[in-house]
Amino acid sequence: MSDPDTADDATSETVDSTDTTVPDGGTDTTPPETSAADAATGGRSGSRERSTGVREPATVRSETDPTETEPAEEDGDVSGDTATGLTVRSVTTRRTNRWVGVAGLSFLTGGLGVATSTRPLLLAAVVGVTYLAYANVSSAPAPSLSVTRQVSDPMPEPGDEVTVTVTVTNTGDRSIPDMRVVEQVPDALSVVEGPARAATALRPGAAVTFSYTVMARRGEFDLDGLTVIVRNASGSEEREYDVGTAPTTLTCVPPVDATEAVPLQALTSPYTGRVATDTTGSGVEFASVREYQHGDPLSRLDWNRYARDGSLATMEFREERMATVVLLVDLRPAAYVQSGEDGPNAVERSIDATHRLFNSLLDTGDRVGIAAFSEADIWLPPGAGPTHRAEARHLLATHPALSATPPAERVYVRPALRLLVGRLPDDAQVVFCSPMVDTAAAYVARRLHVRGHPVTVVSPDPTRRDTVGRTLASVERSNRLSDLRASGLRVIDWADDESLYEALERARRRWSA
Amino acid sequence: MTGYELVRRPSRRSVATAGAAGSFAVAASVPGGPTPTLIALAGVVALLAGVWAGRHRIVDGGALIAFGGVVVAALSGAGAMPVVFGSVAAVVAWDSGTNAVTLSDQVGGGADTARVEMLHALFSAAVGVVGGGLAFVLFRFGPTRQPVTTLFVLLLAAAVLVVALNR
Repeated sequence: MSDPDTADDATSETVDSTDTTVPDGGTDTTPPETSAADAATGGRSGSRERSTGVREPATVRSETDPTETEPAEEDGDVSGDTATGLTVRSVTTRRTNRWVGVAGLSFLTGGLGVATSTRPLLLAAVVGVTYLAYANVSSAPAPSLSVTRQVSDPMPEPGDEVTVTVTVTNTGDRSIPDMRVVEQVPDALSVVEGPARAATALRPGAAVTFSYTVMARRGEFDLDGLTVIVRNASGSEEREYDVGTAPTTLTCVPPVDATEAVPLQALTSPYTGRVATDTTGSGVEFASVREYQHGDPLSRLDWNRYARDGSLATMEFREERMATVVLLVDLRPAAYVQSGEDGPNAVERSIDATHRLFNSLLDTGDRVGIAAFSEADIWLPPGAGPTHRAEARHLLATHPALSATPPAERVYVRPALRLLVGRLPDDAQVVFCSPMVDTAAAYVARRLHVRGHPVTVVSPDPTRRDTVGRTLASVERSNRLSDLRASGLRVIDWADDESLYEALERARRRWSA
Repeated sequence: MTGYELVRRPSRRSVATAGAAGSFAVAASVPGGPTPTLIALAGVVALLAGVWAGRHRIVDGGALIAFGGVVVAALSGAGAMPVVFGSVAAVVAWDSGTNAVTLSDQVGGGADTARVEMLHALFSAAVGVVGGGLAFVLFRFGPTRQPVTTLFVLLLAAAVLVVALNR
């Protein structure tokens, strides 16, 4: 319990504070049984709007100065008994039935008192009936609340700790004897200091403030939900509100981070770049010497040879060309695996790898695009330039499908693959980031490879060998990788304790040898 | 994932609240003799263990045993006053205990729940005192001539009325 004015002192930077007022029951998501439940209790506490389901236009009020909260005078006329400041996504009213045992026990006691003619027991039964009345005379109040939320840093770097302060104010004119508030923290954010919950009783105009700290992770997160459970004093009835508040957004974009030059395969575009090809012409790496033809540039004449025997010869160099690379990320639910309890999962590592590869490829002058096997359609066509880089950075950081939590739905590989093949430029090669824990991923890599898009697999290793089952999975995976290598694909097996740079270096040495 | 772990167990203060109420129930059983006192004591200890462990069933069982102690005290000839207020104390102990367990389920033991818990216990105790006072007034000035069965039926009728009025 704290004064609303003092709540803001805790945070240096006040970011978001908005109040939205919507009459309870006026939202689309309110389940139909709610109106029935409200109608049942409407005689005592529900307003006419609620029980008949009449919708009222939403009133939205934004506070310009979030350090000032004026809970006492807010919207008291509109909603004496509805949850204001919020959109109510669902309401569940239930009886807790916690006094039923007391009722039964008091009758038993009374009966025993009658049977044994013990007057005090009969009187104890009177007490029981009093409690029964206590449990039955009141119902859970329909609260009128406003919620403000502040974060200490709306744009944290990954790994930063962000303190979120939530203030819930009772804006109604009735006291709330028992209110429990649970912040709906996005799954991908882990609370490092908490709890993100509070329980209190609120007089009209009073506020409760609680704060918690989350560890920021790559992504864009909306803090916009609260679960509010309100009980009457006896606790015989409770209402659970799932309320949506004005969102406070945490955007966590990792810093631009590149790795060393990425070894690429020989499929290139006709433009000059840095991948040495087998085509000869101008370049830096010596390839061969051939007979002089009319029109050859003087700079490529082999003057030593001319000095030796007077014949003209032209030196050929390996032409260096630009590659078009599409980074493909495996975001199927199967790819969300991790070794052990802690640490990033394979998808997180894949996305991190994509991020680094993208930047380094762009730095070396290649054209890079991004695609993914995921619920949502992710496709950034190959391109170059600072705008492209910014686009990719934003996409990788904030696209909801690229979050650290697995998607709810299955991802169908074949249609996604067909779509991808249709989009890939003819000269594009593919870097496929996948943990390769199932055959579907290997199938994808092979299909792309045979269609003429050379595939380099960057595979974060999520396996462990501490139990028999895990060892089996690990062996299966390494067999799968070996099969891919045998089919002519390049595979970078990226171990858990190794940096991407090390893995790339190891692979490069093997390939050039 | 490393981070904050939600403690799904009531805090020490919750146990203390239930214990304070429970001690009244034990004290009220003393006039009945040593057996009811021991029963009530065992019940209260079980109740507190249940609160500490965050287990509803144990709290319920403990409260039942504690109340049983009060009933045995009544059967052993304890007066109306200790029995009525012993019952109230048992109910308050049970009520604050289960409330603490529910709270710890919903918001965890780490949150500051003192205010809401105290308020809950106070309400509960106040209702008990009012009910007990009512019972006591009935005992002193009520219709002593009526057969006990009639009183019981009246009590049932009152309960049914209370419930029916709220449906």
